[in-house]
Amino acid sequence: MSGPVTRASIVGSLLKKELKAYSRDKLYVFLTVLTLVAVTILFQFLPASVNESITLAVSPPITTLVGDAKDTLKGMGATDEQLAELDNADLAEQQEGLLLIEFDSEADMTKVIEGTLEAWRTDDGELILRDKEAGEDEPENAEKLGLDIGIAFPPTFIADVATKQQDISVTVYSDAGVPVEIQSAMQSFVREAAYQLAGEELPVGMPDEEAIVLGQDRSGDQAALRDKMRPMLIFMILLMETFSMSALVSTEVLQRTVTAVLVTPARIGDFLAAKTIFGTMLALTQGLFVLLVVGGLTAQNWSLLLTVIFMGAVMFTGVALLVGAAGKDFLGQLFYAMLFVIPMIIPSFSVLFPGTAAAWVRVIPTYPIIDVLVGTTIYNATWADSWTSLAYAAVWLVVLYGAGLFALKRKVESL
Amino acid sequence: MTGPAIQVENIAYSYGDLQAVKGISFDVQPGEILGFLGPNGAGKSTTIKMLTGQMSPKSGVARILGRDITKDDPEVQAQIGVCFEEKNLYLNMSALENLDFYASLFGIKDPDSMEVLRRVGLAERAKDRVHSFSKGMRQRMMISRAFINKPKVLFLDEPTDGLDPVTSAQIRATIKEEAERGAAVLLTTHDMFEADELSDRVAFINDGEIVALDTADNLKLKYGTRSVKVRLRDGDSVREEHIALEGDGSSARLAELAASPNLMTIHTEEATLENIFIELTGRGLAG
Repeated sequence: MSGPVTRASIVGSLLKKELKAYSRDKLYVFLTVLTLVAVTILFQFLPASVNESITLAVSPPITTLVGDAKDTLKGMGATDEQLAELDNADLAEQQEGLLLIEFDSEADMTKVIEGTLEAWRTDDGELILRDKEAGEDEPENAEKLGLDIGIAFPPTFIADVATKQQDISVTVYSDAGVPVEIQSAMQSFVREAAYQLAGEELPVGMPDEEAIVLGQDRSGDQAALRDKMRPMLIFMILLMETFSMSALVSTEVLQRTVTAVLVTPARIGDFLAAKTIFGTMLALTQGLFVLLVVGGLTAQNWSLLLTVIFMGAVMFTGVALLVGAAGKDFLGQLFYAMLFVIPMIIPSFSVLFPGTAAAWVRVIPTYPIIDVLVGTTIYNATWADSWTSLAYAAVWLVVLYGAGLFALKRKVESL
Repeated sequence: MTGPAIQVENIAYSYGDLQAVKGISFDVQPGEILGFLGPNGAGKSTTIKMLTGQMSPKSGVARILGRDITKDDPEVQAQIGVCFEEKNLYLNMSALENLDFYASLFGIKDPDSMEVLRRVGLAERAKDRVHSFSKGMRQRMMISRAFINKPKVLFLDEPTDGLDPVTSAQIRATIKEEAERGAAVLLTTHDMFEADELSDRVAFINDGEIVALDTADNLKLKYGTRSVKVRLRDGDSVREEHIALEGDGSSARLAELAASPNLMTIHTEEATLENIFIELTGRGLAG
């Protein structure tokens, strides 16, 4: 029984066929499931917070250093109030971003830094040392500390400096992995501290702010690796679908099944529409799935986030059409897919390395997509914050999708 | 409608400088099978591509069921069935799914796919994916797909190419059934026996031109010689005698040999289509 053939019914039939063809391609179904599972698992293991403080080991404890220096300082004319200030000083609390871990023994401190002992800190600040090799249990209600650098002062350091003794020896211990710059900074820190303890004024003045950050100051507002990876994972899923979709397109072209479709009432526009809708829905659905798994969708950002993922899905569908039309076989298709995908993946790495992206990275079509994804999921960007990137993405979308349509249309017509 | 189902007037097509089809004209009536006979590269497939809307003629006019093919008319596409030389089937779909899918493109809501598969002997494999089919089964699938919309016009491009004799015979039988149903069939082939057996008329195409168009019998009469070959036992050997059917005394000589106790066989010596093609073009059909 023949019914009226509408464009919508033809596109619907083509979409059903696309879904069937996709679901029966074991390789791409496997890759899709694998990617979704891997992304979900990976995300759970990523750190959810950022520790912005520097942990520094010192030996002996500050109280010991101060206690030993009191008599000498009193002899030098220090008042009781000034000595009381020394007693109350807690460098670890007062120095923002600096956590001091105090060791009674210099030997223990060096063992912790070299990794033969573990240092744990209880909720009330007590330091517990654990010899893992000796089979000691992990302490309860305590956090394991990562110590890479420590300073061993002589017990009489303050008094010796205050009395301007010569040949005072301070040792900076550091793990082999600590950058040389950090080691040098610690040595400078000790010298500066000694200089000030000796009552000398530093010859260089600093502005009130101490440091001027150029660009957006993320101090105290650093994104955790989990947050940074969220847009990247969504982006990766969109990118993965480029491979699946281009494979579907090239199979249709190489096996010339499209020719058989086009001698029916179906027109090339129906064929292109079905490919576009299926590719976009495939990428969009998976992007949303990942978004639900990794979080990031809020009442404030959902419309912006859905818009940018939709734009990304259409853009990658355009690339898939282009790649599918260009590839003459599986290897050819893989080559063209890599040719497009590798440059397009570069902007996603800029998320991991904050700062201004290089000019050439900003030119890459995917940059505005990743820029909006990052802004929305990490820094609560709004439509107003994102419109320039969205406009830029729209231009690239039109260019890439248009190129994909043109290339595939030409290819099909030449069969 | 009355009149030819396929009407072609002076259509031409060229690939760059190469003129593949040079202004050919022909028509096919409903229920008629027109055999398009020619070697590879003669212009057969290009003609089919133009008539099925895959490419537009550079010049000339072609009508299917009275409608201009250059108008990209879905009404025309809904009435044609095409069997391509390439087996362009969806390999990951079953035979039934392939037919149901194509039926849906024609707007057929309740397709008779199983019956079509039964006609080509594939009903038992209906639910098997096409990638598991042999070459012959895939070709039968191609034929069944061309039939799914009960087309008024069928374009069959080398429908039995490379198939075994049994499968070829099955496919030829179904093509005849379609013609008897009333479909106009344009059959391209370089197999002279197929063209001879199936076609009501035959068109010889060579280098993009139709060099002869008539019934096979008329072509044989026009270009062949009327003679018989008689084989007689002659002691331990066999002797052949060729007797022309025209001319005085031929009947008497034939009657004499027919009565001979040494007679083994008598065969007519009509020209084959290939002989005629060679005579007309100076080249064989295989090339």
